[in-house]
Amino acid sequence: MSIMQYNGSAIVAMAGKDCVAIAADKRLGQRALTVDTDFQKVFPITDRTYVGLPGLATDVKTLYDRFRMRVNLYKHREERTIEPKTFSHLVSHMLYERRFGPYFVEPIIAGLDKNDKPYICGMDLIGCLDFAKDFIVGGTASDNLYGMCESLWEPDLGPNDLFETISQALLAAVDRDALSGWGAVVHIITPEGVITRDIKGRMD
Amino acid sequence: MNRLAEQLAANDMSEFGLHNNNDSAAIAGPSFQLAAGSNPAAFAHHFIDAKSEKDSLIKIAHGTTTLAFKFKDGVIVATDSRATAGNVIASQTVKKVIEINPYLLGTMAGGAADCSFWERVLGMECRLYELRNKKRISVAAASKMLANLVYRYKGMGLSMGTMVAGWDEKGPGLYYVDSEGQRIANDLFSVGSGSTYAYGILDSHYRYDMEVEEALDVARRAIYHATHRDAYSGGIVRMYWVRETGWEAFPLEDVGQLYYRYHPEIQLTNSAESPLTVAPLA
Amino acid sequence: MDAQFAIAGRDFVISVTDKGVMSSILKMKKNQDKTCQLSSHTFMSVSGEPGDTSNFSEYIQGNVKLYSVRNSQDLSPSETANFIRGELADALRSRSPSHVNLLVAGYDKGAGEAALYWIDYLSAMAKVPFASHGYCGYFLYAVMDREYTPDITLDGAKALVKKCFEVLKTRFVIDFADYTIKVVDRDGTRELRQDEL
Repeated sequence: MSIMQYNGSAIVAMAGKDCVAIAADKRLGQRALTVDTDFQKVFPITDRTYVGLPGLATDVKTLYDRFRMRVNLYKHREERTIEPKTFSHLVSHMLYERRFGPYFVEPIIAGLDKNDKPYICGMDLIGCLDFAKDFIVGGTASDNLYGMCESLWEPDLGPNDLFETISQALLAAVDRDALSGWGAVVHIITPEGVITRDIKGRMD
Repeated sequence: MNRLAEQLAANDMSEFGLHNNNDSAAIAGPSFQLAAGSNPAAFAHHFIDAKSEKDSLIKIAHGTTTLAFKFKDGVIVATDSRATAGNVIASQTVKKVIEINPYLLGTMAGGAADCSFWERVLGMECRLYELRNKKRISVAAASKMLANLVYRYKGMGLSMGTMVAGWDEKGPGLYYVDSEGQRIANDLFSVGSGSTYAYGILDSHYRYDMEVEEALDVARRAIYHATHRDAYSGGIVRMYWVRETGWEAFPLEDVGQLYYRYHPEIQLTNSAESPLTVAPLA
Repeated sequence: MDAQFAIAGRDFVISVTDKGVMSSILKMKKNQDKTCQLSSHTFMSVSGEPGDTSNFSEYIQGNVKLYSVRNSQDLSPSETANFIRGELADALRSRSPSHVNLLVAGYDKGAGEAALYWIDYLSAMAKVPFASHGYCGYFLYAVMDREYTPDITLDGAKALVKKCFEVLKTRFVIDFADYTIKVVDRDGTRELRQDEL
């Protein structure tokens, strides 16, 4: 078993019409053993940029702490909040700094830029950026998520439809993955604010 | 190439010294052709290493929770229903209880094909015993027969951990039989990757003098808790009760719903009616 | 092969650690305290690689105490746990990683609630209602899932600990001779004997 699968995770981000969504499961495991069913893997970076960190749980925490520090420094130096695109390049750079001893995390970033335009992107564990117009997936259920997103996603979904789509995609994907699931959380980022909702899933 | 294969297939198997060793009229069941070579098991192992997680040609249901226990009114057998291939959940509706005959049940853990094949063979042998002896086979004899069948293939990659439960002249019977050839009798067993969790529940709630309802409740909870903690167990709870009149099956219960039944305080709804509300910006 | 688990209520944490020291097939000692007091209202239990456990916990104990002396104020349980996690995470990617599994238990006087943190040797951390490390978790998680409620009382938790002992005694290969049982609540930390459960 690869170290990327040690703790188990499933994260997906989707772009909609003037909104983006990011959703994650809540399992923290040690291989087959489920240790915690309320483990957060998606974090707010600004009011309208969120980052999801599928992969090794220790690096989820370490990286989120480091992101927070770097984003705060940015805010002080530039006197403005960081844009999602800028933040993804910051993340990418931070990951490549560890090219020969990487963090075992494949970050997923979802946000609205200063023109309220949806932005989503993903990257591998050493920072290769992957921009997408539709969706980005990651974690132990990523194969399943690709299948669900390819069939459920369509362009220009409003917040309500996007919520429904991303929730169904995630729930169906983790139901076929042994290492992720145990409840899930969905964030819908809109120009008016963020909707956060815990969704009901199988607990086995 | 094909001629070589034919030649090998046609080879007299006694040449490999496996059949003659413990083949006797007392041990029934089919016999298999073996791979050519001085050590057929090692040769086959290279291609069909059932126990490794690697790209083995044989896909195995590694994870399982099965349990069975005797109590004053018979035997309860309960299983989960998940089959995994690596981390992928291949099925949530596997039937891990094999109905050998109306009075005998077998459970499945380890290799799905191994369990179902050999317990089917056991069913056949039990029926032949009935026809020959004009009476039903005892649980002890049936489980011994299964143990003997698989012991012939010890070390060749069979993987099964099974419980044989039933009712005979002596009353309830329960045996654990595995592919190592081990066979033990006891009042309570649990087998599979989730078994330790099930044992935790069973040990703190099992009593011999339980009523049926309570016994079913303990079994259901033991499977449920195992599925909650063990990634490779899940799906539905399947329960059987074996008594003097034979076994009876109970309605299947979805673990996905059991969690929220056991935790009424968790009020989550995925209904589309509940409107999405925007949290004000910080 | 240690037994290490803990249960948190709203205003207390009860922690259990076995007292055995084993080396290969040998029992070296049967009354080792594997917990480490960090402040009046915070302690942690430690298991893992012999040597790493004592070295790491003494290092943490020293630095947490140093903070208290410098700032005339104790770290809260969450601050302590985050500090420990950070140190362990740094060590993980250094030339000398520490192989230690921790349970950090404490009572937060400011917030008026108890907290339990589960940290494994990779320094993954989770705030949990109950936790366990090592093989004993395979037996105890189901028992704790079954009996635990968020409003569990100290007496309820003691009864649960007793149930856990019963399960370990009947199912676990190793026979743990004795356990360190510690409780932390608003009055600080105290140790219980097994017959006080």
